[in-house]
Amino acid sequence: MSEPTRALSAAQVSALRHDLRTPVNHIVGYCELMLEDAVGHPDGIRESALRAAIVGARDVIGLIDGTLSASGRNVTRDDVVALQQRLRTPHDQIMAAVDILASSAMAGADDAFLSDTVKVRKATGTLLIDHLQEQRPPNGPAAGPDNAAIATAVRVTGRGRILVVDDVEENRDVLSRLLSRQGYQVQCAADGLEALRMAADASYDLMLLDIRMPGLDGQQVLRRVKQDPATRDLPVVMISAADDLETIAACIEAGAEDLLPKPFDPVILRARVSASVEKKRLRNREVDYLRQVDRVVEAAIAVERGQYTTGSLTAVAAREDAIGHLARVFDAMAAGVRAREERLNDQVDTLRREIDEAQWGAASGGASPLDPGTLLPGTQFGERYTITRVVGRGGMGTVYKAHDRELSEDIAIKLIRPDVLSGDPTLVDRFKSEIRLARRISHRNVVRTHDFGEWEGACYVTMEYVEGITVRDLIDMRGHLSATATIGVARQLAASLAVAHEQGVVHRDIKPQNLLLDAAGVLKVMDFGIARLADRNTVLTQAGMLVGTPAYMAPEQLMAEDVDARSDLYAAGITLYECLTGSLPYVGENPFALIAKVLHHVPPTPHERRPEIPLPLSALVMQLMAKDAGDRPANAVAMGELLAQLG
Amino acid sequence: MAHVLLVEDNEMNRDMLSRRLIKAGHTVSMAFDGSQGVAMARAGGHDIILMDMSLPVIDGWEATRQIRGSEGLATIPIIALTAHAMAGDRDKAMAAGCSDYDTKPVEIVRLLDKMAALLDGAR
Repeated sequence: MSEPTRALSAAQVSALRHDLRTPVNHIVGYCELMLEDAVGHPDGIRESALRAAIVGARDVIGLIDGTLSASGRNVTRDDVVALQQRLRTPHDQIMAAVDILASSAMAGADDAFLSDTVKVRKATGTLLIDHLQEQRPPNGPAAGPDNAAIATAVRVTGRGRILVVDDVEENRDVLSRLLSRQGYQVQCAADGLEALRMAADASYDLMLLDIRMPGLDGQQVLRRVKQDPATRDLPVVMISAADDLETIAACIEAGAEDLLPKPFDPVILRARVSASVEKKRLRNREVDYLRQVDRVVEAAIAVERGQYTTGSLTAVAAREDAIGHLARVFDAMAAGVRAREERLNDQVDTLRREIDEAQWGAASGGASPLDPGTLLPGTQFGERYTITRVVGRGGMGTVYKAHDRELSEDIAIKLIRPDVLSGDPTLVDRFKSEIRLARRISHRNVVRTHDFGEWEGACYVTMEYVEGITVRDLIDMRGHLSATATIGVARQLAASLAVAHEQGVVHRDIKPQNLLLDAAGVLKVMDFGIARLADRNTVLTQAGMLVGTPAYMAPEQLMAEDVDARSDLYAAGITLYECLTGSLPYVGENPFALIAKVLHHVPPTPHERRPEIPLPLSALVMQLMAKDAGDRPANAVAMGELLAQLG
Repeated sequence: MAHVLLVEDNEMNRDMLSRRLIKAGHTVSMAFDGSQGVAMARAGGHDIILMDMSLPVIDGWEATRQIRGSEGLATIPIIALTAHAMAGDRDKAMAAGCSDYDTKPVEIVRLLDKMAALLDGAR
């Protein structure tokens, strides 16, 4: 006699009846369908095998009804165990018939018949499952699934979240149990729409998706998952019977990760699910990494726009990986750039103050440093200019401030001395060619060259007029400039040379007289393209006619050797030396003595002259003044970079 | 012949029964849960409904009650189908509004007879 504790509830009995009668329904239904087609088939063995299977199925029903009462009462676990033993006989009978049917189908290459035979075999196989062990908890009078049963988190663990999509309740149950035993958190959807909704609402590491489903089938669900940016990274493993190869291939082409064949093999299931979840975990890390890269890129754009706030990357910088390292370096660099910008502004401010003080000193005590010019104020120069005053005078000629009546603005006119362009009929053409080149240079640190013309037999060049003071005047009035102001001059000079050299224009006569500072401290380099005229006058045999300024000329320029951009860097070095110390590095009683010193003498460094001058700045000036062009910075850009390192 | 709405969540049951109904000359629409069954019934166009009782989302009893409460569907024939085949299931199905009741495994001839009787009565 069974113990009372082994008695089953009516709901359990009801569920058992359902679980056992359902496969019988499949066996009978498919066998009857096949029988209708098999009657009269040349292979008579089909008909007899099908009838045998149907008889076996009806025996099963008899055993079920005889053991599991329709009232649900008086059924024990022992009864169920005994029933399972008794079911073996009809089970084997049906399986034998199925084997005959399968052989017949394969012999006749009858795919449809074989497909139905496989379904009968599958249904028959479920008869011997331990339904009592596998039975889900009773749920209402029919133990049928409800919303909660369909979307139930079976177990919450750290291994990963899996969404099982299958319209067959039994499949969902089996997969849920197998996967949750392996430590996964499993949720189920009974159809495609439900699956899409759940995938959109929550984050899963894997979707197990049945191919054959009513409504939206597995292929359609797969396509939608892969089309939606929010879900396309979700790996999808298709669930399929082995007779669906064409569809399986289409699914893999559409982005399915893998295939899980029915019936489920626990070992294969474990391996494929584990591999897919691991792949998703790696993908998540990749996506997270790329998100951090985006944040660094956003920070770079903010730096470019001057909107970066130091510390914006704190969260990324806390990471231990490469992107964290990059963020830390980037943040430090951005802070450095900000600090350098502030120092540069300080330098310009210092320069501006020194200009103001120098101009105030000149206005309050000094006389005009300029001699009267040939042209008097008010002179009509050409058809459109009126001379305002003389602003400078040099070896090349005289510079006037003038008013352009046509454009109603002030300009500068450099009137070239007639003898500078005499003696060589090609010189004027070469001069025009140089002016054309110089006109290409457009930069805030370069005095813009406008035009070339001739007036009463003399050539002239019109230029942008800058109200300001030359560095020559500044040095003369102040004695020397501070290191900070000198660096401000140097950086702007390097910027102007870089843009001119890029255009193929070498200045050839960089010196404090050609460097203008406006009231805001902005440096403007004058006379690009004009100094070349003096070249022919700088050879030693015509020393008495020197027009250029040998004190600023590089050795190769003095020796009439090849001159390139590095000759301008040498002149810049001499200029900066003079800014810092108030005197030239080389002084000679006559041009020959000067040139000899330039070629052979090593002057004291700026720091030796004035110890308060920082050593790095002093060293850079000396490097610019190197006698061998190869020992100087490679170009003006390199000069700018070296200056930037000084702060 | 009739247009049948088959409300069934089990894939093999749907496949097998729909093919048998089509062989018998009927046309078949399928829903795979109670909620879909109600929606499709309300959409109209069906002569008879075969309703499995163990369905996801809402079960067959509740689906039947909702269909009966819908406009124009008070008299549409509904046959309950169940594999539980428990005593009292028939009464519960009829109380929910089903017109008839049958058990699984389906005996197709018996089911077709029941359908014919109901369809004749409805006409």
